[in-house]
Amino acid sequence: MFRQTIRPRSDWKEKANDYGFHFHTMYGEAYWDESAFYQFTLPQIEDHIEAPTEEIHQMCLHVVDKVVADDELLKKFCIPEHAWDTILNSWRQKDPSLYSRLDLAYDGKSPAKLLENNADTPTSLYETGFWQWLWLEDCVNSGSISRHADQFNSLQEKLIQRFHNIGEHYGINNLHFACCKDTIEDRGTVQYLQDCAREAGLSNTFVFVEDIGLSQEGFFSDQYDRPINTLFKLYPWEFMFEESFGAHIESSETHWLEPPWKAIISNKAILAELWRSFPNHPNLLPAWFESDTPLDGVDHVVKKPLFSREGANISIHNKGELTSHADGPYGAEGYILQGYSPLPVLSGNHTVIGSWLVNDQAAGLSIREDSSPITQDMSRYLPHIII
Amino acid sequence: MKNSTMKRSRFINLGRMKKSASLAPIAASLLLVGCGEEKEVANIYTTLDDCISDNPNAVSQCTTAYESALEEAKRTGPKFASMRDCEYDFGANQCQRVQSGSSSFFMPFMAGYMLSSLMSPNYYSQPLFTSYSRYSPYRYNWMGADGRYYGDLRYKRVKVSKSAFKPKPAVVRTMKRGGFGSTAKAKSSWGSSRSGWGG
Repeated sequence: MFRQTIRPRSDWKEKANDYGFHFHTMYGEAYWDESAFYQFTLPQIEDHIEAPTEEIHQMCLHVVDKVVADDELLKKFCIPEHAWDTILNSWRQKDPSLYSRLDLAYDGKSPAKLLENNADTPTSLYETGFWQWLWLEDCVNSGSISRHADQFNSLQEKLIQRFHNIGEHYGINNLHFACCKDTIEDRGTVQYLQDCAREAGLSNTFVFVEDIGLSQEGFFSDQYDRPINTLFKLYPWEFMFEESFGAHIESSETHWLEPPWKAIISNKAILAELWRSFPNHPNLLPAWFESDTPLDGVDHVVKKPLFSREGANISIHNKGELTSHADGPYGAEGYILQGYSPLPVLSGNHTVIGSWLVNDQAAGLSIREDSSPITQDMSRYLPHIII
Repeated sequence: MKNSTMKRSRFINLGRMKKSASLAPIAASLLLVGCGEEKEVANIYTTLDDCISDNPNAVSQCTTAYESALEEAKRTGPKFASMRDCEYDFGANQCQRVQSGSSSFFMPFMAGYMLSSLMSPNYYSQPLFTSYSRYSPYRYNWMGADGRYYGDLRYKRVKVSKSAFKPKPAVVRTMKRGGFGSTAKAKSSWGSSRSGWGG
């Protein structure tokens, strides 16, 4: 695992415009950064990332199976009671999932450690599945990277295949896609998934989360008053459960992507349950509920809210002393504590690996760099190669 | 180590990944009529007179079929937020503004309608659309309201499965909107640098 600098493609901004990649620069700062790339060996990818990713996913499914039928655990996960049946039913019916991203601490040598599982609303999908793929294609064609280089990235291929399977599973040829208003990045991610669905032969309609309606018949409807049969929502389950339409989720007879049972995996409480079910697993960090064993006097730990996005409200503590923290609007629901595993630092950057799954198959890798030890929403995205 | 050859997507159709200046409009995709279902022959007419001249003794059935297809077209046909998006998929001058309650949207004109055998006491009709847009996979082809593909525009008789005439899910009566999204609104006022809700 190396970090190498490289000259950016001279025309990459024009290309970004042609392909509709509109969030490569945000708030005046670079998000997509092709002035460097990461290099891995094939065994690093296959043995250290790909295989553990699929294994971690299976361990998560094992925990879901336990949690969905256990009232005490559901309470500890802060899942509102009115959502329990929805989650249980979606699990028992084996409602298909689409994708997830595991965030891993990996230095190229020691076993990758699971930091968290973004199983409900993962983003940086377009950058991974398409944009870094195109970057490698261009670099190989221009000769700046060897023709023998490969990339761990079959994301787009697998997403299209998965949409095809989901279409058959539900017997549908159309689905709705939704995200919130005023989020250019989320809209771009959803548009990419719409493109993949289209390639799988599924026509689709976009609706903003805020514009979703509730019909007299109890169905959710789009802005044209058409019933929503199947909905991909880039909007967290824990928000939806608590909002005013949350009580109608079950009776609306909607097929959901991600399915409701993903609310268990995307919850940080799963980190504590994983450690309890698979103690000392090489790819797990010790983790527990703060309510079980509070922070006082414990060695280096990271404190994470059960529901949190983009690093918000995460803090690092050493022997009870706060060493680093990120602000945010989360935390009212409680915290878990997780053993501290420092991110590798390459050329002064803290690097976190995103390892993608489409359903239960490892499907690719993304790299984020941050100047802070807590990777947050403004961390940069860098491409990678295998050689 | 797993036995593998290539770890990345083998092929990505770059032409189809390109975007125009705005976000791509509602994508329509080719859906072939499923195999193995029971088939029946349907006639395609472009106007009411078309149907009457073919079935001179069935003026009232033709009229009913035509009118119900028109209604069904408005109910279940493709809808767009702007004329531009509609014309992108269906071609110049192929779209109209439609008012529905307090909202309005843009739809392609019904290009024809498909009729099951008028001999049967329970005959059915379904609206058909076509596209003249070079961006559309349906260009010069018949397309159902749900995106089903019914072949070349020149064909006036098609073999279709019985399910082709099943009424499409109705438009519903929306009672209330805005029941999702409030948490995002509340949390975004906290002032994080980026406002997305993915992670």
